[in-house]
Amino acid sequence: MKKIILTLIAAMAVSASPALSDTVKVGYMTTLSGGAGIIGTQMKNAVELALEHKGGKLGGKDAEIIFVDDQRKPDVAKQLANRLIKSDRVDVIAGVIWSNLLMAIHKPVTRADTLLISSNAGPSPLAGEECHENFFSLSWQNDQTPEAMGKYMQDSGVKSVYLIAPNYQAGKDMLVGFKRQYKGEIVGEVYTKLGQTDFQAELSALRAAAPPATMIFQPGGMGINFVKQWNQAGMDQVSKLHTVFSVDAVSLPALQDSALGTVSTQTWSPDLDNAINKKFVADYKARYGAYPSYYAAQAYDSIMAIDYAVGQSGSTKAADMRAVLAAGNIPTTRGPLKMNSNHFPIQNIYLREAVKDEDGVVTTKIISTVFTDHADSYAASCKF
Amino acid sequence: MTHPARKPTLIRLFIDSVMAHRLLWALLGLFALFPIVTIIFDQPFWNDIAMRIMVLGMAAMGLNLALGYGGMVSFGHAAFIGIGAYSVGICDYYGLTNGWAHFAISMAVCAGLGLVIGILSLRTSGIYFIMITLAFAQMLFFLFVSLETFGGDDGMSIDRADFLMIDLYEPLRLYFLIWLVLVIVASFLMFIVHSRFGVTLRGIKSNEQRIEAMGLTPLHYKITAYVISAVICGIAGTLFANWQEYVSPDIMHWTRSGELMIIIILGGLGTVAGPLLGAIVFLLLEEFLPELLHLFAPAYAENWMIIFGPLLVVVVLFGRGGISGLITTYMPKKSDQQVRHD
Amino acid sequence: MTFSLILEQAFNGLQAGVTLFLVAAGLTLILGIMDFVFLAHGAQVMIGAYAATAISLATGSFYLGILGAIPVTFVCGYLLEFLIIRHLYRRDHMDQVLATFGLILFFNEMIRIGFGPAALFSDLPTSLSGFVEILPDVPYPTYRLAVIVVGLLLAIGIHLFVSRTKLGAMVRAGASNPDMTAALGINISILFRFIFATGACLAGIAGMALAPITAVQPGMGEPLLILSLVVIIIGGIGSVRGAFIAAILVGLVDTLGRVFLPAMLRLVMDQSAADGAGPALASMLVYILMAVVLVFRPTGLFPVKG
Repeated sequence: MKKIILTLIAAMAVSASPALSDTVKVGYMTTLSGGAGIIGTQMKNAVELALEHKGGKLGGKDAEIIFVDDQRKPDVAKQLANRLIKSDRVDVIAGVIWSNLLMAIHKPVTRADTLLISSNAGPSPLAGEECHENFFSLSWQNDQTPEAMGKYMQDSGVKSVYLIAPNYQAGKDMLVGFKRQYKGEIVGEVYTKLGQTDFQAELSALRAAAPPATMIFQPGGMGINFVKQWNQAGMDQVSKLHTVFSVDAVSLPALQDSALGTVSTQTWSPDLDNAINKKFVADYKARYGAYPSYYAAQAYDSIMAIDYAVGQSGSTKAADMRAVLAAGNIPTTRGPLKMNSNHFPIQNIYLREAVKDEDGVVTTKIISTVFTDHADSYAASCKF
Repeated sequence: MTHPARKPTLIRLFIDSVMAHRLLWALLGLFALFPIVTIIFDQPFWNDIAMRIMVLGMAAMGLNLALGYGGMVSFGHAAFIGIGAYSVGICDYYGLTNGWAHFAISMAVCAGLGLVIGILSLRTSGIYFIMITLAFAQMLFFLFVSLETFGGDDGMSIDRADFLMIDLYEPLRLYFLIWLVLVIVASFLMFIVHSRFGVTLRGIKSNEQRIEAMGLTPLHYKITAYVISAVICGIAGTLFANWQEYVSPDIMHWTRSGELMIIIILGGLGTVAGPLLGAIVFLLLEEFLPELLHLFAPAYAENWMIIFGPLLVVVVLFGRGGISGLITTYMPKKSDQQVRHD
Repeated sequence: MTFSLILEQAFNGLQAGVTLFLVAAGLTLILGIMDFVFLAHGAQVMIGAYAATAISLATGSFYLGILGAIPVTFVCGYLLEFLIIRHLYRRDHMDQVLATFGLILFFNEMIRIGFGPAALFSDLPTSLSGFVEILPDVPYPTYRLAVIVVGLLLAIGIHLFVSRTKLGAMVRAGASNPDMTAALGINISILFRFIFATGACLAGIAGMALAPITAVQPGMGEPLLILSLVVIIIGGIGSVRGAFIAAILVGLVDTLGRVFLPAMLRLVMDQSAADGAGPALASMLVYILMAVVLVFRPTGLFPVKG
């Protein structure tokens, strides 16, 4: 009895509108609740802003975006993906912050001939052996950003480096990518506990090793803790700090001055000079009172891509949209984005430094371009 | 109803079990008929929710044997679900796709590991037992996170298993496989609970010294119950991996064990149907509480846990014996002699 | 691997242990005396951190933040016990687990709604942001040294209180035999409320100590909760002395294990195996320690109940 009532309520709440050919339906999946909700919220903000910039239409057709919260659980993500495909009958599923969630849903989604666009996660299997023509990355492949850091440090003559990353798949991938380009001496390679909050012990060991340069990957709260403690321990006197994915608009409000001077590599920065990005950053700041993060920029780009695909092909069918996207030249906050054969972007990677802007807010600024038109290392093993 | 002088035969035992567990059979029947509803409303993904409920309910029913009936509060059973799931993944990785083999391996590993962990953990009791089971689960979690060959925390995609030519990708095949296994597990549990083993187990939970005084060794019963519950969780895990087509260490995180316990308490400790009922309520809440909030207070839709949290507190404070307890209190009893068991 | 590095790491382990002790002390009394599984103790840490950070941001003074946050955490604990916890003493452990789990969700969301999901900005007070040379050429952050000192002082204070005062005697009596204590005419419910509020306050102080050096965000107390449960189990439920020794032990094992285990493994196995096994083993180390202790001493190192 209870079940029947509940399912009836469900029928009312989850209505499946008939699939009209002049509406574009997008299912946008992020983590909105729980600890990492801040990232999902930023991405949702960016998506809503993008839709507004496009006047509520994508590719000239009326657009409906259904936001779903994956709660950072693979089984919830899978269930939501099934719901979006079978019940809401979306044309595209986009979003997905985490690699493990993307790995959980990519097969069912691509198999159902629905386009899957990643706004963030970029695990190597999807760039290589497990690639699929219905999958597009509007972000980057996990290895690219650390590769750029490796190249920068190699080219600037850094003799030896100390590496720190959390002990999980992404952490190991980051250091593998770094070592692909950096050929100098690795003085230390330390894997910290996932979710670790206190790094004083690692910093003490670092001080004893006294390397000229340190490279870290500590995403999310771990990055806030690490950079804060680095600064408090006066480690800038000992070593120069280089980071990937640890210092960005999500962590900077909590770090503020303690992050000044740190360098990082990234495919995007708020100060990238092109019309789309300028408008995006200005409007985001005006509405939400803070700089957008790269997550937000990539979410914005995902909507831009859908708009472009539908607009250029005039259809919402997967085959037509993917032909447009595969050809590249997609208008994004990074300029016209090129696409590789495995549907991952070929893009520039910049070196950025954390500085204060005119209003005294700490943000990242581009110092130089490390890679121009960089492609990931897995494209060769991808055969559709 | 039963002639007191007649020795209970197996058939008698079976019939008594079925009659005493009307709620459980009703639920199982509902699950069997549910696909009709999804066809009527043309919402095939509702089958996914139902499958998740059946699998989680199965695992909770397994844990309940140790926890509700045996009084062993294990915080580590999510690890056994994980092992069941990884059995599929690892076998798949090495090319072994036979579904029967997956089940056999998962049950064997869970039985062995359950035996070892059970023996070590049952040297303690009370809160100490809770913590040592948590410790073992955490060790397994960190182990699988560090196994790069099997994807580490990124996990691995898997294909559904081969079962005697049955293609599990056809809609509803997997659904009814899960349902069938659920019926088998439920029947097994109903049988065990009423057998001499089950009665002794419940006796141990309420007064261990008295059982000892009768000349029995409580430890043997507890270990057996623990191992059985581990194997059932492993079976649930194997089915789960087939549904999700993916496995990762998240499935064995200690918070998932906590969810199992919430499900059991929500549904009603120490009843066979309870955990299944709890799984239904828990997953439907997880699914629809955010939706409801969307309708009434969209600004706070992401903060749905602020309702879920106090809801749990209220259930504990006012809901005696969980939801199945509520149902039993208000449902009419057949006769005074017949004691309700669910 | 010089002596000064080992000493410095020992200080780090000590600081980690002292912080753990502050969280574990209250919890072991709650578990031991009221036999109450209070999973939401990590939320008390979070409340302390947020209260201190919010007040210091508003007033501009770190010390005012601490002074203001202490009564806030005490009152929070007091109210929580009075409104909800005391109704749950008679329930079995499973019910307590469920209810306090619900409390965790509630507190995390309340903080998220009140302060937003992003981490708050918090920093060291300028007076404590320097360094002290504990050995020649080994500068140690003043703040962390202060945490060690304060923590040890609090530990001594608690020890003196519990062993020398009448109220402390009541607490000890309550830990080893609550029914007898009640039978002796002591107002158990007021005693319980006081113990609970003090435990909450101690956990809050741990949060306040951590606020300048870690990220102040919703859910920041959960990792500490698990670790402090491990500490209490190793030390023995209900024993503050056990909690102290176990906390220092766990702090040292965790810290020293993290930094020296990979290197030690490299002595017995090749580089890549050591690099793979080292961190995995290090994260399991504390749990292995607890399991080993429990196998040989099923009620912890210093059990209170006989």
